[in-house]
Amino acid sequence: MTKPTDLVQGTLDLLILKTIALEPMHGWAIAQRIRRVSNNVLQVNQGALYPALHRLEQQAWIQSKWGESENNRRAKYYSLTKAGQKYLKAEESNWERLSSAIGLVLKTV
Amino acid sequence: MRWPQTVSHRLRSLFRKRAVEGELSDEMRFHLERQMEENIAAGMTPQEARRSAMREFGGVEQVKEECRDARRTNLLENLLQDVHFGLRMLRKSPGFTAVAVLTLALGIGANTAAFSLIDAVMLRTLPVERPDELLQLKRQDPRYAGGGPASFSNLLSFLWDGGASPSFSNPLWEQVRDQQNVFSGVFAWSNNRFDLARGGTVQPAEGSFVSGDFFTTLGLRPAAGRLITGSYDYRGCPAVAVLSYGFWQGHYSGASSAVGSALSLDDHPFEIIGVAPPGFYGMDVGRESEVFVPICTVEISGIRSLESRSMWWLNVAGRIKPGIARAQLIDRLQVFSPRIFTAALPQYWPADEQRSFVKEKLVVTSAATGTSALRQQFDQPLQVLMAIVGLVLLIACANIASLMLTRGVVREKEIAVRYALGASRWRLMKQLLAECMLISLMGAIVGFLFARWGAVLLIRSISIHNIYALGNMPVLLNLSLDGRVLGFTAAVAILTVALFGILPTLRSTSVSLISAMKGIRTVELDRPARFRSRKLIVASQVAFSLVLLVAAGLLLRSFAKLATLDPGFDRNNVLIVYTDLWPAKIPRDQRPSVLDRIENQLRALPGVLSASRSSVTPAEVSYWAHNVYTEWSKGFTDAESLSMSVNVSPEYFGTLRMQFVAGRDFNGGDTATSPMVAIIDQTAARRFFPDLDPVGRTFWIDGIAGQPGPPIEVVGIVRDAKYQSLREQIHPTVFFPATQAPDLGLAGALELRTALRPTALISAVQAAVASVSPAITLEFHTLAQQVSDSMVQERLLAQLSGFFGSLALLLAVIGLYGTVSYIVAQRQREFGIRMALGAEPGSILRLVMLDVISVVALGLLAGIAISVAVTRLLQQLLFGIGPRDTVTLVVAVAALSMVALVAGYLPGRRATKIEPMEALRYE
Repeated sequence: MTKPTDLVQGTLDLLILKTIALEPMHGWAIAQRIRRVSNNVLQVNQGALYPALHRLEQQAWIQSKWGESENNRRAKYYSLTKAGQKYLKAEESNWERLSSAIGLVLKTV
Repeated sequence: MRWPQTVSHRLRSLFRKRAVEGELSDEMRFHLERQMEENIAAGMTPQEARRSAMREFGGVEQVKEECRDARRTNLLENLLQDVHFGLRMLRKSPGFTAVAVLTLALGIGANTAAFSLIDAVMLRTLPVERPDELLQLKRQDPRYAGGGPASFSNLLSFLWDGGASPSFSNPLWEQVRDQQNVFSGVFAWSNNRFDLARGGTVQPAEGSFVSGDFFTTLGLRPAAGRLITGSYDYRGCPAVAVLSYGFWQGHYSGASSAVGSALSLDDHPFEIIGVAPPGFYGMDVGRESEVFVPICTVEISGIRSLESRSMWWLNVAGRIKPGIARAQLIDRLQVFSPRIFTAALPQYWPADEQRSFVKEKLVVTSAATGTSALRQQFDQPLQVLMAIVGLVLLIACANIASLMLTRGVVREKEIAVRYALGASRWRLMKQLLAECMLISLMGAIVGFLFARWGAVLLIRSISIHNIYALGNMPVLLNLSLDGRVLGFTAAVAILTVALFGILPTLRSTSVSLISAMKGIRTVELDRPARFRSRKLIVASQVAFSLVLLVAAGLLLRSFAKLATLDPGFDRNNVLIVYTDLWPAKIPRDQRPSVLDRIENQLRALPGVLSASRSSVTPAEVSYWAHNVYTEWSKGFTDAESLSMSVNVSPEYFGTLRMQFVAGRDFNGGDTATSPMVAIIDQTAARRFFPDLDPVGRTFWIDGIAGQPGPPIEVVGIVRDAKYQSLREQIHPTVFFPATQAPDLGLAGALELRTALRPTALISAVQAAVASVSPAITLEFHTLAQQVSDSMVQERLLAQLSGFFGSLALLLAVIGLYGTVSYIVAQRQREFGIRMALGAEPGSILRLVMLDVISVVALGLLAGIAISVAVTRLLQQLLFGIGPRDTVTLVVAVAALSMVALVAGYLPGRRATKIEPMEALRYE
């Protein structure tokens, strides 16, 4: 079980935003998707996920709506706002720059 | 652009709390159930699935709390929580809450009352358009750059006027009006008391003569009809009047028929043309003008003259032109000052006086807050009052701080438990401070109510008789709610939280967890610094109380000295009757004989022991003065040769019971044709006839056109008497017989010494005067009242400082008693052990008293130091006693120590009465 502190807050935000960029999802589904796509490497803990979701909603990068889930139960679906889309793009390019820079340093040293 | 969503999100979290919480629970529950389904699908049994899901999830409440944190509404939510909890805790200890709130209400209330008075007298601006643009013009004699000379010759221009001393004659004002180019509008006014009655007892109405541009420059619009405009600024203008709103409501019930009707002022008809807007009562603070009439009507009442160049009765003010700076304005005024003064030069003055007159300058002061004689008189006393109530507030806060410290100790266990549950110190402090703020808020609200009531009382006690007017003139101040006063109350409330809340909060939250859980009270740890904060608090209370007691002592003794002063005459049982012969249209030369008849008629009334008349009565504000010249006074300056002069009838000295030192009284032989005589007082004798026997010697006063008059022989000397106010230095006084010096002012005030209460004779006097001439107007006073009114400021200060001084003493003593009781209670165990080990009860008492004495001594030392430094400021308010008076200091110290020691002794004695076994068992 990956402890929440292993994933820096900013990174978790990025993952969440990217995940719901394609389609609105509820919290459980977001965690599943991240786990599956990363081949079980990144396992997001509820103690980190839900606070992150609420914080992102507070900052209006994402919005929520109650809807019916796949098993006919009420669930809270999160989706990107327009501002969130822009924010995601910016954060993605930041991440690219950061990771390639780290890679350069690791290769040469 | 995320703004609107952020804000609405937060608002929703705050106000739809239940819905939001429900959603949170639903969200968590959904996640758990979904996980359970996955687990069952993966092959677990329902119970296993459930357990696994829950384990994986972790603590639901913790997650929820994190989510709540992430929603960022903590600050406000916590505050609401704290307030709610605080209210509950305060309700649980109603005794504490009541005491704290009442003490605070007293302190805050007193401060607010004092401040609202200061605000009304000194800070409030006039209810006119853009008051900060208004400037008042004054004359400045370059010889006395800092203001007029201290001698009373400068005060001769100060006639019966409720405002600050007017200094313009009508010609001078007209010159200013016509020649100025720095004001967009300029106006003049003069206050006057009109008589609404037509003969008989005066029915006074305060009013003002105003120039044409008065209302227009102030930017006022009529509430009904129209206002006086510039078209009324000519000689012989119609007699019109504008009423104040209050007068219109009071006398005419706001009827529109009032406009156009006739009003009798000083027995002359005026046409009412309009009503001023509500809230406007003239330019002077503390005084309300009820009627406004044009300046040109002043000659109707025969009071002043429009042409006289040496009667100074007008005030002048103006609105600065936009675009001109103050400095520029002053410069420009200097430029045309000489022209103005030259054109309005009094013709009959001596040459050197004329020269200084044209050299005078015009200066300006801000008129945004109006003018006020009240301000000058009460400026210092109000400041002293403010200081006094400030100290009382400090003492009250100290008491509450001790109470809060005790409360903190009682709640130690509760606080320790909350620490154990994970609260941060900051969070706990916030909660305790919220309680303090609740107490402060409640105290401020109750205090505010006290203050409204207190301020009204205060005003009523200075209003008994305004010192600058004859008769009842209530001080009328606008005490309506004002942002400044509310702001002040709020600021004081917050300050008190800082004073009584911070220290106890810090102490309460510095709890040692382990000791608390074990049940050991922190205070029982025998550290040398224990009880230190409480002792410091008590010491400071003692210090402040001492300062207040010393101040109160000084002011009380001042007043007592003043009140028991021998004024040189017998003030009891004397009725004073002021007459005004003008309305009866009695020709000048007949007035003395008419007054003689009246005097004789009144003398014959039953109940009158003796009667006399004079031009001025004792403790009356206005007076006449003359320069006195003798063979020996050649080198005297103007000020030194000035002497008060009073015209009296022969029975005067007998009626007032003034004693003769030498010579004789006036008698029937002193007539208009016999040689001029005078009686002088001891000061005049010493000044003008040093080391000689004045009786039989002569002096001169100014005659016509600056030449000395005929020689006047001194026929008698009376003992000095206080004329203007009891505080003054005696000016030399010269008395002339009423038959001989008519141009010195009519001896129109009658003094009647009565066998019974003076006021009982009023109707008889009215009837008697009416039989001589019914149109003569009368005003009644008693001499005792007049004298007592001259002491209003001293009396007020004595009363207030006495009241607050005792209040402070009471609070300090309660604080001391409470603290000592508390300390003794805490040390029960220790005392029990000592006694079990063989200590005498006396030694326990000694221990306690030693503590008390050291604290009280510390407080007294600090208090003495502070009072010595601070009472210097009272210098000008004291009479007959210096601010460093050691007797007062010693008495105050002795009184305070005695009371404090008793307050400390009582709990101490209780300590010695305990059974050692009981004390040891005490938890």
